[in-house]
Amino acid sequence: MVKAYKQEHVYKHPWERVSAASWRKFADPENKRILSHILEVDTLNRKLDTDTGKLHTTRALTIHAPGPWFLHRIIGQDICHCVESTVVDGKSRSMQLTTKNITLKKFIEVEERIRYDPHPENPSAWTVCSQETSIRIKPLSALASMAEKVEQKCAEKFMQNSVKGREVMERICRYMEAESAPV
Amino acid sequence: MGLLKKKDSTSTRSSTSPCADLRTAYHNCFNKWYSEKFVKGQWDKEECVAEWNKYRDCLSENLDGKILTRMLEVDSELNPTKQADSKESSR
Repeated sequence: MVKAYKQEHVYKHPWERVSAASWRKFADPENKRILSHILEVDTLNRKLDTDTGKLHTTRALTIHAPGPWFLHRIIGQDICHCVESTVVDGKSRSMQLTTKNITLKKFIEVEERIRYDPHPENPSAWTVCSQETSIRIKPLSALASMAEKVEQKCAEKFMQNSVKGREVMERICRYMEAESAPV
Repeated sequence: MGLLKKKDSTSTRSSTSPCADLRTAYHNCFNKWYSEKFVKGQWDKEECVAEWNKYRDCLSENLDGKILTRMLEVDSELNPTKQADSKESSR
């Protein structure tokens, strides 16, 4: 059983600034309080293709993800490791991130895809963020009998975190805008 | 904590990563390069190489091998074409 959620948000900031803000999202000290569930972010690999202007990055995210009490009984841990794979296409001005969980892969698969593109109606000044999250409980796993409840809880958590993430992004964009404004 | 080998079982949720400083140095360098060069079309040269190497060496020494293997497995699922790409721009 798969649940998929789509969200879209328009940032009234140019794509260059929004994509740069995305890199800073988890590390920004002021915003760590809001995204306190993100414990560590490490860059595992980065490759720049100097011919095509494509930047490939792999990052490891360690997240504090306490679930409902019954999950903790089965899993016994609150830490979730995820892999984030990103491609930034400098030529076409597009950034795509895909994040998947490593932890508990046997039980549940969560995949989050985010895209940042220039807004079609205002490509030089605005950016569209499209986010799609899919949550799938693996059949025959210990969680299968309560799949719907778990998926629902996960989805709620993801929505809450998405809102926080957007809030942080908007702050960083405003900060970067102020920094770049002529004195 | 996180990806690192469990050396201290009493470590708390605060950032106790031994590579934290090197990571910050690398991320700061990268963010500057990204905003000032990459998005302006200047992607002809790999930068922050020294910072990256120091940070990566620290991670190699401290990373939990089991978790890393699983991460790389998932990464190759997400990027099947990346494996075939033989272009290595960072030497």
